Amino acid sequence: MNKGDRRIRSVKEINEKIKRGDAVVLTAEEMIKLAESSGVKAAAKEVDIVTTGTFGAMCSSGVFLNFGHSDPPIKMTKCWLNDVPVYKGLAAVDGYLGAAALSETRGFEYGGGHVIEDLVSGKEIELRAESYGADCYPRRHIETTITIDDLNQAILVNPRNCYQRYDAATNSSDRILYTYMGTLLPNYGNVTFTGAGQLNPLCKDWNYETIGIGTRIFLGGGVGYVIGEGTQHNPQSGFGTLMVRGDLKRMNSRYLRGASFYKYGVTLYVGIGIPIPIINERVAKTATLRDDQIIVEIRDYGVPSRPDRRPVIKRVTYADLRSGKVYINGKEVPSSSLSSYKMAREIAEVLKKWILEGLFFLTEPVEPLPRKGRLKPLRVRRKEPTVRELMRREVVTAKPDEKVEEAARKLIVKGIDHLPVIAEDGRLVGIVTSWDLARAIAERRRFLSEIMTRRVVTAREDETIDAVAWRMAQHSISGVPVVDEEKKVIGIITTDDISKRLVEGRSRV
Amino acid sequence: MRVRLIYSPDVVEKPILAEVISKTGLLINILEAKVNAQKGELVVSIPSSGEKLEEAIAMFRRAGVKVEEIKETLKIDQEKCTSCGACISPCPTQALQFSSDWTLKYEEEKCVACGTCVNACPFGALTLLEGSEG
Repeated sequence: MNKGDRRIRSVKEINEKIKRGDAVVLTAEEMIKLAESSGVKAAAKEVDIVTTGTFGAMCSSGVFLNFGHSDPPIKMTKCWLNDVPVYKGLAAVDGYLGAAALSETRGFEYGGGHVIEDLVSGKEIELRAESYGADCYPRRHIETTITIDDLNQAILVNPRNCYQRYDAATNSSDRILYTYMGTLLPNYGNVTFTGAGQLNPLCKDWNYETIGIGTRIFLGGGVGYVIGEGTQHNPQSGFGTLMVRGDLKRMNSRYLRGASFYKYGVTLYVGIGIPIPIINERVAKTATLRDDQIIVEIRDYGVPSRPDRRPVIKRVTYADLRSGKVYINGKEVPSSSLSSYKMAREIAEVLKKWILEGLFFLTEPVEPLPRKGRLKPLRVRRKEPTVRELMRREVVTAKPDEKVEEAARKLIVKGIDHLPVIAEDGRLVGIVTSWDLARAIAERRRFLSEIMTRRVVTAREDETIDAVAWRMAQHSISGVPVVDEEKKVIGIITTDDISKRLVEGRSRV
Repeated sequence: MRVRLIYSPDVVEKPILAEVISKTGLLINILEAKVNAQKGELVVSIPSSGEKLEEAIAMFRRAGVKVEEIKETLKIDQEKCTSCGACISPCPTQALQFSSDWTLKYEEEKCVACGTCVNACPFGALTLLEGSEG
C-alpha cells in the first residue's frame, strides 16, 4: 500500500465534525499557503476540507422546465422564451432551454444564458408556443408571461461544466478574430485563457478520488450534485469535465450570468464550488497544486482547424498567464483571462462559510469518475469538395519587375482577374487584380512591385471549398492562389470557379 | 492631460504637432491618429499642467487646430462586471488591468476611447460615453 493511500479521515467523520462545528476548512489558496509553511504532511493532518471555485463561460449548460398545463391544454411542439427557442422534443409541457440558443430577434445580444439569468432574477419572461392540436390537446397556440415561480420545475442540468484546465488562445493571422476565447488581436497581439487553475475543483482532486457521481456541490449560488463525467471528459490528457444538476429555483443570479461573445454567440457563466475532503495524503498533495504547476498550451486560432489541431505556439502555466504577459517569439504579449478569478475566490469562500456554519455537508460519491478515456474527432465520411478538385492548375503569373501594361494585357488576353506575382524561385510574393491594374494605369505607376498586394491570402489544396469560401468572404476578395508548403503557386481558385460548381451540381439533380 | 486634436482640411498638411513639440519641449505622446487628405484627428497625451499646458493648447488653437479635452471616456457598470478580464488583453493602451484582489481596474488617463473593450466584454458592462468615440 502506497503511503499516500492511507486513509486519514472518512467523509462520515468529516460530517460529524461539521455537525459539532469543529471541522477545519480552508480555501484552496489558504491550503497552498499552509502547505508552503508547514509542508503537505502537516497540512493533510490538520485540514479536513479544501474548498474550490470556478466561474467561467460554460456553453454546455441548460435548464429543464415544466410549464404546467393551460386550459384548454396544449402539446407544445415549438416554444420560445423571450424569443429564444426551447427544445421541445419532450412531453407536452416539458422543455430544455440551452444556454447557447440565440434569440430569433436579437441575435448575439441575447440568448438562453440570458433567459436563465432573468429567470433566476425573478423577471417576467414572454412564453410563446405552437402546436398542431390533438383530441387530448386541442389548443394550437399560446402566448403568456411567466416567472420562475410559475414553473413546476426548473432544473439546471449541464452536460459539460468545470473543465479541469483549458487551452489558451492567440492569433497569428493579420485580422482581428472574434471567438469563444474572446477578442484575439492580429499578429499575436494578445493571449486569452480561461480556468481557475489553482482554485479549479478537478485540479485539486487531480486523480478524481473524492469527486464522483453524487458529490454535493455549490452550483450557481445554490446546492447541486455531480451526476457523472461531462461530455468530452478527457482524463488522460488532464481535461476532465463534469455533468451537474441543481434546482434553479434556489440559485442566485450573481453566480449564473448570461453572456455574449461578440460575433460568436451567447453562453452562460456558471459558478461552481466543490469541497475536497482530505481523505489521504495524495489528495492533500493535489489540493496544494499551484498555478505555476498547472500547464496550459497556447494555441493559434489564426489556423481554422479543429481545436486539437490548432498549432501549439507555446506551453506556459496558469501563473505565467495570470501575470498579465507571456513571451511569444521573443515578444512580450499581454495575456488576460475570460473566467473571473475574483468570483472563483468568492465561491470558494462562500462554500467554506456554508460548511463552517453547518449548512452544507459532504457526500461520498456512489461511483467515481472515469479515469480513462480520450477525445475522438468527428470523421467526415461524406465526400466534401476540396480545393484540389476545383482549382485551376494552369496559373498565369507575373514577375515583380514586370510592367503594369504588360500585366494588364495578360489579364485581357487570358480573361482572368487575378495575377499572382512570383519570385525567380517560383515562390509567391504578391498578387495584383484587374482593379489594382486599372488604378495603377490611372495613377501612371510602372512596375508590379509598386502596386502588388504583398500579404496574400492563400489556400492549400487539401482544404475544403467551404473553408476557403469563408476566408474569401472575410477578406472581401474573389480569388486566392493555392500554394504548397514551400509557398510555390500550384493553382488558383476564384469565387467564379465555386459558383460554377454550384450551378453544375444543381443541373445534375 | 489627454486631448483630441481636430485638424481642418486647411491645416491638415502642416507639421503643427512637431512645431508645438519643438517649441515647448513637451514630450507629447500620440495615442491614436487618423489622418487623410481631408481631415486629421489625433488623440494625444500632454504630460504637463498649468501654464505650460495652456501654452501648448493655445499654440494648437492659433494654428487652426480644434482642441477638445477628453475627460470621461468609458463607463463600467459595476453590477454587470464580473472582473473576468476579457477586456484586459485586447486593450491597446493597458488602461484596463487587475488590481491586487483581481478586481477590474480602469485608468482614465490611458484610455483612447477606441472601443475594443466594449465589444470584448461578454456582459455588456462597458460603454463609451457619448462624444468620446474615437
